[in-house]
Amino acid sequence: MAAVRAARRQRLRGFAFVLPALLWTAAFFLLPFAFMVAMSLWRRVGGRILESWTLENYADFFGRPHFLEGLANSLEITLTVTVISVLFAYPLAWIIAEKVPERWQRAALMLAVLPFWTSYVVRSYAWLLVLAHDGVVNRALLAVGLVEAPLVLASTRTATVIGFVHFFVMLLTLTIYANLRQLSPNYARAAADLGAGPVRIFLHVILPLTLPGVMVGAFLTFVLAIGDYVTPQILGGNNELVLPQIIMLQIGRRADLPSASAMAIVLMAVVTLVYFACARWLRLERA
Amino acid sequence: MPGNTRVSLGRRAFLGGMAAAGAAAAGLRAGRARAAESLNALVWCDHTDPALIRPFEEAFDVRVNLKEYEGTGTAFSIIEQSAPGDGDVFVIDGIDVPRAVDAGILAPLPEEELPTADLFPELVMAESHVRDGRTWAISEKFGYNTISYNREKVDPADVMDMAVIWSEKYAGRIAIYDYYLPIIGLVAIGLGKKTSELTEADLPAIREKLFQMKKVAKLVGDVVASQTALATGEVDILVGGGEWVTAGLAAEKPELDWVLPKQGGLRWSQSIGIFADSTRKDLALEFVKYILSPEGQARLATSSCYWAMPANRRAGEVLTPQQKAALRWDDQPAYLARAQLYPAPDAELDARMQDIWTEMLQQ
Amino acid sequence: MRRLADGLALGYVVAVYAFIYLPVAVLVLFSFQESRLPIPPFDGPSLRWYAAVFADRRLTDALANSLLVALLSSALAALLGFLAAYGLARYRLPASGLQRALLTAPLSVSYLIIGLGLLIMFSRLGVPRSLLTVGIGHTVINLPLCFAITYSQMGAHQENVERAARDLGAREWQVMLLVTAPMLLPAILAGFLLSVTFSWDEFIIAFLLSRFDVTLPVEIWSLLRSGLNPRNNAVGSVVFLFSFALVLVMELLLFRRGRRR
Repeated sequence: MAAVRAARRQRLRGFAFVLPALLWTAAFFLLPFAFMVAMSLWRRVGGRILESWTLENYADFFGRPHFLEGLANSLEITLTVTVISVLFAYPLAWIIAEKVPERWQRAALMLAVLPFWTSYVVRSYAWLLVLAHDGVVNRALLAVGLVEAPLVLASTRTATVIGFVHFFVMLLTLTIYANLRQLSPNYARAAADLGAGPVRIFLHVILPLTLPGVMVGAFLTFVLAIGDYVTPQILGGNNELVLPQIIMLQIGRRADLPSASAMAIVLMAVVTLVYFACARWLRLERA
Repeated sequence: MPGNTRVSLGRRAFLGGMAAAGAAAAGLRAGRARAAESLNALVWCDHTDPALIRPFEEAFDVRVNLKEYEGTGTAFSIIEQSAPGDGDVFVIDGIDVPRAVDAGILAPLPEEELPTADLFPELVMAESHVRDGRTWAISEKFGYNTISYNREKVDPADVMDMAVIWSEKYAGRIAIYDYYLPIIGLVAIGLGKKTSELTEADLPAIREKLFQMKKVAKLVGDVVASQTALATGEVDILVGGGEWVTAGLAAEKPELDWVLPKQGGLRWSQSIGIFADSTRKDLALEFVKYILSPEGQARLATSSCYWAMPANRRAGEVLTPQQKAALRWDDQPAYLARAQLYPAPDAELDARMQDIWTEMLQQ
Repeated sequence: MRRLADGLALGYVVAVYAFIYLPVAVLVLFSFQESRLPIPPFDGPSLRWYAAVFADRRLTDALANSLLVALLSSALAALLGFLAAYGLARYRLPASGLQRALLTAPLSVSYLIIGLGLLIMFSRLGVPRSLLTVGIGHTVINLPLCFAITYSQMGAHQENVERAARDLGAREWQVMLLVTAPMLLPAILAGFLLSVTFSWDEFIIAFLLSRFDVTLPVEIWSLLRSGLNPRNNAVGSVVFLFSFALVLVMELLLFRRGRRR
């Protein structure tokens, strides 16, 4: 009896430590989400929010091509960014982990992620200046004679992708590097002892072993990129809209919180679907 | 272990440093709060220039907190999502003042304290500003949304016709200012319609032209993006531009020019008023009076975000000849005669226009 | 063959570093521009735009606001995160997996959605938007981070020390405060500092949840929208320098010891 009571007291005491964080998360994460779900089922009509339940906001979203296209643009851009960023970051992380002498690795890594700490808003603006018609890139290309007329770079999807890739190459280099370092060199040594060449060692040993970590990084990239408003807004020149831009238009220009909520929930659903699609690898990592 | 001690010492110093930083930040804010009062103003970005605001702050020992927005829809969104009493002063497009009066968010102004007689007559706009015999807002600044262009790269004869904004001749070299009201207004003017008489029935034709414009446009941008594009040579024509884009750049980019095409152009104007639920109406009125004074008007006309004509003619006594030249002070009678006002749609039509605009962006 | 591979590797590294540094270099270079347009040709160096930044009270106010929000929200996140990690690591609690999942859930939700949810809730409940609401939002996004970092560092090693302390008669709160917390200080601080940098640079939540008092990224956003100007470059360079200093402090104080070991 006493033992049971003691165990219960222990449990209560432990729970008391977790409770503040749980309450905080419930009050400022779960509750707002509930508000948002409710809001997405109301309508904004003639400047008023009509509090009667309806699915019209969702019907609107899926019924209007220019909204759906926003989702398509978001997916296309985000997937492109994720793939390119991984392809750029992996070799860099690998070279730092394998080719750079041990004592310089940390410095090399710090150097690779230093621009990470420029202001996020300013970074996109800086790319705008770099990619402008009269900007540094075009001037350099013209001076070298690689092109005859300035390239159209700013205010395009390419610009948005470049801005994103810049950020995520840094992020992914960090995560992939950490992954490579966790690998015991014994695996590679064992494979070499068994007669495998460097290419085969990489393809059959290192790559599969680091894949889960890469997937986690890629998923993070996907989540962060698909929800971002600033980069496409500054660099895309409004030539096409991604979903966060449409959501911000609904909030900012029309005060249409119901339809913004519905779109936000669609966005969340997409991320969740992608999470389940990658769950196999993501869970592997945790094990 | 000695290494360890050093590190923990360092850590303690670090924690201390963080605490000091926090205290400094708090101190900075406290020092700010020391200024007796503060005034909250919801404004277009031209009011954020310290050169405009600081003289008022010093004269009245107050702090002016500014929240800037672009477009009346945005302003109403912000107000709707605010608590009553949040704001004191409201700068709003002149044409939209009736909507604000309808919504009951403005307080009446004491006419005897306003320099209404000194305004350009076209800017008195009693039909917007006066209701039930009371004045609810007063014009402070105006200009034009027409066509800005690069004189070295565009034939000036071409931009005299509004049709240039959807013609193929400058495909890929045109930027569109991202504000649906003036651009829809310009399209309407180009189609020979009157902006004040637009109805739902005019929208299909306007929509078609907008889509055509989107095809030949390089980008659709807010103030800075369109200004950047024009100044960096990204584009040579800015639809919706005017003196507010080019006047401030006159020194660096003299080749940037603007015109009212033969069909005319749009005149925009900003009005200033006081929020009905402001708790500092006296101070707010002082701010309004300052902005309308010749000195305030001259500073507002040449503020860093965008230059444009002051509504008060007496600002001419304060502006320099160069500034007046950049603002085209002497051409105003001719311009005023040829410009129409923004469309002023009701909520329903406004929503339809915004739909078309979003569709156009997604083309 | 080997040399060729090394040469290729070097070339690749240089190319990627060039890509990573290109915008920063352009940003900083043209902050010293003399004329009004931050595009080539460079006609500086001039410090006039830095003078403009430090003379702009709105910017310095926003900087102070940002610091305050970042420090307070991160401290709260670190505290709540530590308590929760302690409770979950040291006690057998029912549904502990669910609790952990709930605490880390905000990590996989876009900031835009978190901000929108809070915006709706606060406006329905009539809570005026201010720095406080921004701080609440930032605590929501940083709490999972602090929790996860601290929780991952709670190992058997500390547990043994705690048990020893308890055997010597220490009370529960003494164990936590005097034994566990100091041992976990590096993890707690790492979470705190990471949170500070995130909050310091966070835009969309601050944009949606602030009103007349804004944080630095929101102020910079307004600045960007108010015209092309080397002042934007100058303020960007200043923020970069500040964040860099913070990271340097982090590196020197927290990670050096780990490397030495």
